[in-house]
Amino acid sequence: MKTVIKTNGLSKTYTNTAVPVHALKNVTLEFKEGEFTAIVGPSGSGKTTFLNVIGGLDKPTEGHVVIDNVDIATMKESQLFDFRLRHIGFVFQAYNLIPVLTAMENVSFIMLLQKQSKREMEKRAKEMLEQVGLSDKLDIRPSQLSGGQQQRVAVARALASKPNFVLADEPTANLDTESAFNLLDIMARLNREENITLIFSTHDQRVIDRARRVITLVDGAVDKDEHFERN
Amino acid sequence: MKTLAKISWRNIWRNRTRTLVIITALVLGIMGGVFSAAIRLAAEEQQFEDAVDNMISHIQIHHPEFIANPEPTHRIPDGRQAACNIAQRPGVKSVSARSAFDGMAASANMTTGVRIKGVDPIAEAETTRLQELLTDGTYFSEEWRLPPVIAGRRLAKELLSEQGSRIVLTFQGVEGEMVSASFRIEGLYSVTSAAFEERTVYVRNTDINELIGDPEAVTEIAILLDDVDEYREAARELQDAYPNLKVRHWADLDPTLHYALEVLDQLLIWLVGIIILGVSFGLLNTILMSILERVRELGVLLAIGMKRFKVFSMVVMETTMISIIGGLIGLILSYVMIRILNVHGVHIPGAEGLEDFGFASVLYPRVDLPFYLQIGALVVVFAILASIYPAWKAIRLAPAEAVREE
Repeated sequence: MKTVIKTNGLSKTYTNTAVPVHALKNVTLEFKEGEFTAIVGPSGSGKTTFLNVIGGLDKPTEGHVVIDNVDIATMKESQLFDFRLRHIGFVFQAYNLIPVLTAMENVSFIMLLQKQSKREMEKRAKEMLEQVGLSDKLDIRPSQLSGGQQQRVAVARALASKPNFVLADEPTANLDTESAFNLLDIMARLNREENITLIFSTHDQRVIDRARRVITLVDGAVDKDEHFERN
Repeated sequence: MKTLAKISWRNIWRNRTRTLVIITALVLGIMGGVFSAAIRLAAEEQQFEDAVDNMISHIQIHHPEFIANPEPTHRIPDGRQAACNIAQRPGVKSVSARSAFDGMAASANMTTGVRIKGVDPIAEAETTRLQELLTDGTYFSEEWRLPPVIAGRRLAKELLSEQGSRIVLTFQGVEGEMVSASFRIEGLYSVTSAAFEERTVYVRNTDINELIGDPEAVTEIAILLDDVDEYREAARELQDAYPNLKVRHWADLDPTLHYALEVLDQLLIWLVGIIILGVSFGLLNTILMSILERVRELGVLLAIGMKRFKVFSMVVMETTMISIIGGLIGLILSYVMIRILNVHGVHIPGAEGLEDFGFASVLYPRVDLPFYLQIGALVVVFAILASIYPAWKAIRLAPAEAVREE
């Protein structure tokens, strides 16, 4: 299987605090195409920092992040904007949809930034919203959707741009059990059917139970890296 | 760009009340600015009309000694010829060659000092519109036994005289001898400046020159230009052409008026400046608040790969949209306001006493179309400037932190 992300000796130290904080310590990992991975660990273990660094939102103090044979750790900020746009999908804990845009517009927006044609954009957005079971909510704004529905729109948005992988930061934390399961079903299906690489940071046992790989971070270092056989 | 504009447009209506408040502030600011400008223009026009157009004209030429001693002894050499030559110059609309000097006016009851202006009735009417200022009587058309005089209403009142009354004017002749002659008040004129109206009388120059002993006498050449804005340049050229005479433009002749207009100009600049700055800071505050409320959302836009320049443009666009809405409504309401006030006039409370100094108590505000465009453009430009700081704040957000902002 093709390697999607490769990190090598990744370290991140925050020095703008009273005492330097070593958020990541020498993290070396590989993520293969189609993996469903949960990054777990207690609060402050470095899950979010790891996601930020491999998502190009933050730069490592040391080490490399190689995506598509490119080390994004050495990229300039302006290149990172473009890289994120074309290669990475994001799903956030608080959904973070654009409130003034409809579900359809929210999903299309990222493709608009990619300068795709209007026809292509509409087709893909409809397709993605259908995939997450919201084909009847195309023209609805986020405020009129439930939390679960908003998060499904966020998943559709993350996948619409056909990214190399999707980073999901605690995506089920704000959802009730039914919505969380619904979302996980959808993500698991997309992972299986479209071979999309998913990397979650989570505390949620429901997510951990679905993941085929679980990486445990403790104090910024990889404590365990376990693989499971699941359907 | 279309989607960006759509997002910006929807963003400005997310907090409808706040947007309406800032639009109202913009509208009121523009109306205040336009009103100030309209009042200034009205005051300038009124004062110009009364003081410059009706009384002193744009430029006057005298013998240098005449300034200190306005007597017939200080005549302009070859004055008539000089007036004819000046009338031919480009940019000169009309010229009135006057035989003007100080003297005394006496009725049966009172005596007072006056400036006697011997004029050619036709040339004077073209230069200072004296004929249009008459409120009583006729303009040098009666053929009476006594020569006619046109006096100010206030002077007639002071002399306890009226139209048709006889008054005696006393003045020096060209040899310095005292001359007295009777005149009959043919007409009464009125201007805003009480001081001028109380001490200026007009007679025919043919009548007065015969009395002073020089039929060709000219002591004052009053000039009206096609374009008053050229007054400095025209006065300089005339001074170069007539180096032995004293050429003065209206600002020299009436420094108080010039000063008043300058003060009005400065006042307007400061007033409009302060209004625009105030409104701009209001707008800056509004946009900044909306940015601070949207940190997470902006963080997401940056995280998913929207370039900082586009986020910047979106914020600037939001401000520009608000300023265009406020600007258009403000300009339309200002236009309506000025049209109404132009018909009904604006009464300046307590200004009645200032009429002695040439200030009218009722002004008719008016604004030229270019000013509306200028103030509209200024509002948009300042709004864009005011949006720079919030837009800069927006693009300085670190997406990794912003997306997790509570």
